[in-house]
Amino acid sequence: MELQIDHVSKQFKDKKAVNNISLKLTPGVWGLLGANGAGKTTLMRMIAGIMQPTSGNIAYDGVPIKKLGEQYRNIFGYLPQEFGFYQEFIVRDYLEYIAALKGLSGRQSRRRIHELLEQVSLLEVCNKKISRLSGGMKRRVGIAQALLNNPEVLILDEPTGGLDPGERVRFRNLLSEFAQNRIVLISTHIVPDVEYIAACHAMIKDGNLLVVGTTEELVRLAEGKVWSCTVPTGTVQKYEDKLQIVSLRNEDGGRTSIRYLAERPYTADSVSMAPRLEDLYLLLFPQNIGEGSRRHS
Amino acid sequence: MEILKLELKRMLKSKLTLILLVLALLFSILLAYLPVTYCYSNYTDEAGNEVNLTGISSIAYEKKRQAAASGIVTPERVQQAVEDYQDCLNQYGVAESYNLPKGVYEQEILPIAPLLHGVKEAFADSDTGMAPAIMEIDSQQLKDYYSICEGRLVSLMAMEQPDNPAAQRRAAKMYRKVEKPFKVYPGMTSTVMDYQNIMGFLTLMFCVVIASPAFSVDYQSGSDDILRCTKYGRTNLAIAKLVSTLLISGAAFAVCSTLYILTANSLFGWECTKTSIQMMYSIVTLAEINIGELQWLFAAAGMLSVLASVSFTLFISSRCKSTVVSLAAALAFCIAPVVIYMALPGTLSAWICSILPASGTSIQASILYAITDFQFLNFGGFAVWTPYAVVGACIIEIPLFAFLAVRSYCSHTVN
Repeated sequence: MELQIDHVSKQFKDKKAVNNISLKLTPGVWGLLGANGAGKTTLMRMIAGIMQPTSGNIAYDGVPIKKLGEQYRNIFGYLPQEFGFYQEFIVRDYLEYIAALKGLSGRQSRRRIHELLEQVSLLEVCNKKISRLSGGMKRRVGIAQALLNNPEVLILDEPTGGLDPGERVRFRNLLSEFAQNRIVLISTHIVPDVEYIAACHAMIKDGNLLVVGTTEELVRLAEGKVWSCTVPTGTVQKYEDKLQIVSLRNEDGGRTSIRYLAERPYTADSVSMAPRLEDLYLLLFPQNIGEGSRRHS
Repeated sequence: MEILKLELKRMLKSKLTLILLVLALLFSILLAYLPVTYCYSNYTDEAGNEVNLTGISSIAYEKKRQAAASGIVTPERVQQAVEDYQDCLNQYGVAESYNLPKGVYEQEILPIAPLLHGVKEAFADSDTGMAPAIMEIDSQQLKDYYSICEGRLVSLMAMEQPDNPAAQRRAAKMYRKVEKPFKVYPGMTSTVMDYQNIMGFLTLMFCVVIASPAFSVDYQSGSDDILRCTKYGRTNLAIAKLVSTLLISGAAFAVCSTLYILTANSLFGWECTKTSIQMMYSIVTLAEINIGELQWLFAAAGMLSVLASVSFTLFISSRCKSTVVSLAAALAFCIAPVVIYMALPGTLSAWICSILPASGTSIQASILYAITDFQFLNFGGFAVWTPYAVVGACIIEIPLFAFLAVRSYCSHTVN
């Protein structure tokens, strides 16, 4: 089971959203990381077959997905980043509708819908109109529809947007369980969402694929570049101006502990830290620091 | 089949669809009743009091007064009616019936009026088309009334289609085939047909509004991204959407038309439907049908037109990314025949109006008026009567636009 993305590009009028990306996706959870506008959604739409690449080819087990058509869609599940529902549908009706489109029989469909509603904690609202659900609930309905046909290839575009922390944990557990012998690709710009469930990651920037590898391989790229030190709280602004600070933590005695990225330690008392995937992400996307990525505790 | 069932369920759960379907039903009944409210009669009773009647009582009064005129319109009966008319006016020394003393028209002319329908038209001047007054008609000529009518058609066609001998020949042949003598059963007016036309047009608009977001709403909301990634989310879904929209529209039009006809005929009387079309419209109308047949024929042709319009609307919807654009474009095409009919010269508008899907039920340019008119589409020595062209175009357009809609939906890509 293999999904090959072969020299795929997508050119819009004045912008190249995806530039010559090649990637071989094998069973397991893959994280597709990149800042907003990096080209993640465009790449996913091309994998979903709803957008045609300007050049290049996407193939499943060696056969172009366009040629596979219905066969490919039969083993495919997709959660777009933004999507709508029919206003008139209640949750169960909607899932029944999608199940029919996915070719599930009536009995199969009812059983699977019940299972999924339980897994995404929506059983209680299954007779409610989707339009009356909260953003997080709508997102979970979207996740459920993507999983209806037990897809071999599952593409989730920013699946955790709108989910609260508890829901995120439940989603991660659900996905870990589901991903056995399947290709699951999750795009996000929130690194912790995929850090622990994705075995491999691909990071893209401005439509270009920057790095691909397992979590360990990628983390290694940031080794020796992550530091920590404690500074007087009043001087934090000065450090913020000069350093790529990943996180800040207030300590006792008017001091603040900072975790920062740098080639060399900035202060004498800085100690080298074990890198995390998020550190590499912020090294590759420095403009993302300060856009909600930095943690302050 | 499961997808079609669920799509039908989805559409019928939509508030917009339900509201429009209920409105269509209510309008059908209301519009069938409205012509009754326009009926008005006035007479002086035995005590000398002026009596005004409206609505159902007016219809009943006139039917009673004209009961003797009902039946087959033989030349002898027409001749007798003309002679009675002339005698009456001569007796009072007037040239027109509206100059008769109060109450005389109701007593003397009203009972024979149905038989006088079309007499003036039959004797219209062959060069100018001007109809004479009944007083100027030589009643002896009426012995050969239907030959005079056939002669009138020839002169009319020579005026209407002077450069198209094929159309003239075709019209003459059609009229010769019309069963004569005609029949008349008074009580119903052509307003009933006009309102059936309005009912058809409103139902058409409602069906188009229901159909217009079929595909575009999915593009606009983004739900299409999920749908078209499913196994049956392309051709099968497109066909299910198409069939369910056509089924709902077809059923809505069929129910509304039936309801309209049943209501109108119950109010005016079913016997009126046996009247020959020539005794309600032009005496030289080409169709060989009575009013009842005209009602059902119009309903059937209207149904084809609605289905063609819905099919076309679905095609538009499959090409538009916004529901507003698809709705506006679909409605523009619905009213296009009206605008074209008024704005463009005869031959060109006849061609365009015959081709447009909404022509069957449009206001003014509908198949009802095409049936009662004398327009032909002429090409290379052939002449096709416009009602045939309208129906033929709809029969071609329904599968054509349906196919294009499915193809367009399947090939749609996000950009």
